[in-house]
Amino acid sequence: MSARYGMVIDLDRCTGCGSCMVACAAENNVPPATSRATPRTGLTPMLVRKVSNGADGAAKREVFIPISCMHCGNETPCVSVCPQQAVEVDKATGIVMQMPQRCLGCRYCMVACPYHARYFNWWDPAWPAGMEKSLNPGVAVRMRGVVEKCNLCHARLHSAMEKAAANRKKEIDPADYIPACVEACPTGAILFGNLADKNDGVFSAAHSPDAFRLLARLGTEPKVYYKSGQAWVRALAERDSERAKESEHV
Amino acid sequence: MKFSRRDLLIGSAGATAGFLLTPVPWKLLGDVSIWTQNWPWIPQPVRGPVETTQSFCTLCASGCGIRARMAAGYPVGISGVRNHPITKGALCPLGFAAHQLNWHPQRLREVRHRGRAASWAEARAAFEKARKEGPVAVVDGRSGRAASSVLEAFAKKENDSYQVVPSVESQALAPYADWSGDPVSAFGYDLENVRTIVSFGAPLLDGWGAPGRFTRLWSERAVGAADPQLRLIQIESSLSRTAGCAWQWVPVREGSEAQLAAGVARVLLEEDLVAAQGPMPQLSLVEVAAQTGLTTEAIRDLARKMVENRPVMVIATDGNPAIAALNVLLGAVGAPGGIIKRGERVQPQAPYEASGGSPRAILLDATVPWEFTPKTDGEVFRFAAWDGGGNKADWLLPAPGFLEELTDVPTAPTSAVDTYAVALNLVAPPAEIKGAAQFLLELDPSLRVVEQVIHRRCEELFHARRGMVYAEQAIAITEFDSAQKFEEQLRKGAVWMDSPPRISAFRCELKEWPAENNVRQGTNWAAAWAPPVLPALATKLYQESNLRELPAGRQA
Repeated sequence: MSARYGMVIDLDRCTGCGSCMVACAAENNVPPATSRATPRTGLTPMLVRKVSNGADGAAKREVFIPISCMHCGNETPCVSVCPQQAVEVDKATGIVMQMPQRCLGCRYCMVACPYHARYFNWWDPAWPAGMEKSLNPGVAVRMRGVVEKCNLCHARLHSAMEKAAANRKKEIDPADYIPACVEACPTGAILFGNLADKNDGVFSAAHSPDAFRLLARLGTEPKVYYKSGQAWVRALAERDSERAKESEHV
Repeated sequence: MKFSRRDLLIGSAGATAGFLLTPVPWKLLGDVSIWTQNWPWIPQPVRGPVETTQSFCTLCASGCGIRARMAAGYPVGISGVRNHPITKGALCPLGFAAHQLNWHPQRLREVRHRGRAASWAEARAAFEKARKEGPVAVVDGRSGRAASSVLEAFAKKENDSYQVVPSVESQALAPYADWSGDPVSAFGYDLENVRTIVSFGAPLLDGWGAPGRFTRLWSERAVGAADPQLRLIQIESSLSRTAGCAWQWVPVREGSEAQLAAGVARVLLEEDLVAAQGPMPQLSLVEVAAQTGLTTEAIRDLARKMVENRPVMVIATDGNPAIAALNVLLGAVGAPGGIIKRGERVQPQAPYEASGGSPRAILLDATVPWEFTPKTDGEVFRFAAWDGGGNKADWLLPAPGFLEELTDVPTAPTSAVDTYAVALNLVAPPAEIKGAAQFLLELDPSLRVVEQVIHRRCEELFHARRGMVYAEQAIAITEFDSAQKFEEQLRKGAVWMDSPPRISAFRCELKEWPAENNVRQGTNWAAAWAPPVLPALATKLYQESNLRELPAGRQA
């Protein structure tokens, strides 16, 4: 198996409903917030940010940008800095894997990530009494003190591989491996597939004139692409996160 | 040899450096990190074979198709059903975590009478006593279900009243019911054939109707072109999600939407932009401009754009007659791409009237929104799966939660076509839980039970021989050998959809231009959600991010 899984998110189709965030948390057994959690300390492997064009009145426009791990393919910053080899790029899939069992919680990777797409588990994962029965049996619950991030629903990839193996096939059926956020998007704004496959829809979408990547100048080759027909939205791609934050109207 | 202090330091440094060069500390460090991730108090998922079952979400009237992954008898994941002809695989953000609701700390597990624990026998005795003293009222939040027919049959047997609290979307259709004389449940929006939608603040992309229906249409037809196939014009005072995604956003002064409707109507009539002749609004264009904060030219431009790409339909947040009257002027009632009458399977319903006398007791079904507070001198018996807090009722009666009750899913309020589905009770409810229909059946065992009503409805649909059944593939109902096989298919998660209705014009006569009453502002994203609580994971949206605010009246 040799693939380069990635996503193309059409920002013109994103309504900011948040279905992807909730579906991601439910699929990956991410716990609900404790009473003390804030947007800074919460766990949101998929996070939808609202950004405006800075204008007032009728000229004001907003866009919602879903941000998850970008699965950088070159000089992956989090991999370079991890002292525990808790982050690895899976050569077979291109997915940047986080192994919580190895993570010491030093948070170097959070500092290194240019997209702020990594989250620290500040509290013991806790659900209201009995709610643990609703947890996804395919995903282990992570402990306090480790870093978490999107792993493109790796458990679903495992299930697809098991199914392929049971059917004596070497390759998985693409329909069997769709991350939860992609499945949840009510407008079909998130396209997922193999970026290395020229016949895959995601390949042509990633190479369309409206496609762009956030902070592409850093050369980390992120595998999450965005698309927009609006020039001001495309211009957001090279703004650093601090400046982007300034113009957030939430 | 004398052992100096210097030797001690060198030796210590060497020993430390040497120890660090061995794998021991690193191995220990790694092991400690693994051990500390396996504390006994960390919740572990239940183990067991995982099966997938199709059903329907019944937390609002949309009845979205869901695929529930079940492990050890519990739902562990919810996703949408792509084959559903209306919702097309989409769910609202709350639906994806709905399976966690049954363990919400606010889950009602016992009968409560004015804050203290009570028993079903006490509740039954109190209700029977009130019923002997005078008429009672049975209030339903979602008419047309099998359970609704039990509630209605119970009420009508003893001359009690059966009333329905209309949904937000139904309220917006009420003027057409008033003008045409047909019941409000007869109407729907023909979104699939419309080319311009003018929304007066309706949150079309944020919780209006079934989540999948309009969002999919919008995504397929309204995005990606300067002149899209479907134009969405949003008239709203603030830049909402729908306004931000619209082809054109018209920012008006808050509360002046009805006045703008009058201004647009004046332009449509003055410039002969519509074929229909209607009463001229009293307000002049200058007055409308002053009240809405728009220029007269902007209002003229809006009116012209409305008729540029027909069919056009106007959608409002409530039953404001001035806004609904625009549809009459535009010829969007009883026409393709407009407000249409659905079909023949329509039951008249009596909307809740606070002024309809004071019954001795009011029984509220669990589908009645938590915000609804009846005005009565009698006792209030409220069925609810979750306690939303506050002094909402004399009796709180624990009702089945998510996927805990066998129920049917009739046509959603905004739908253009009749649909019917059956949601199975996939999860065993806790002890001491029962729904309003079951409670009434215990009082009057002669009533038909929900299962019998569902069975009868399936037989009726089968014998009508109309429509398609959407399972893995679409199957014509005529291909089923028997009503039993048809019902079996519905119980496996299929949905029946009627043949598209023959759209016929219906008469809506405007004798005078309606008063420009204040318009209710756009509803919040959880408006259609019956429970007073949100799934625990909703914290991702309003606490762990700044994406949304906690909806008013809801608890986490």
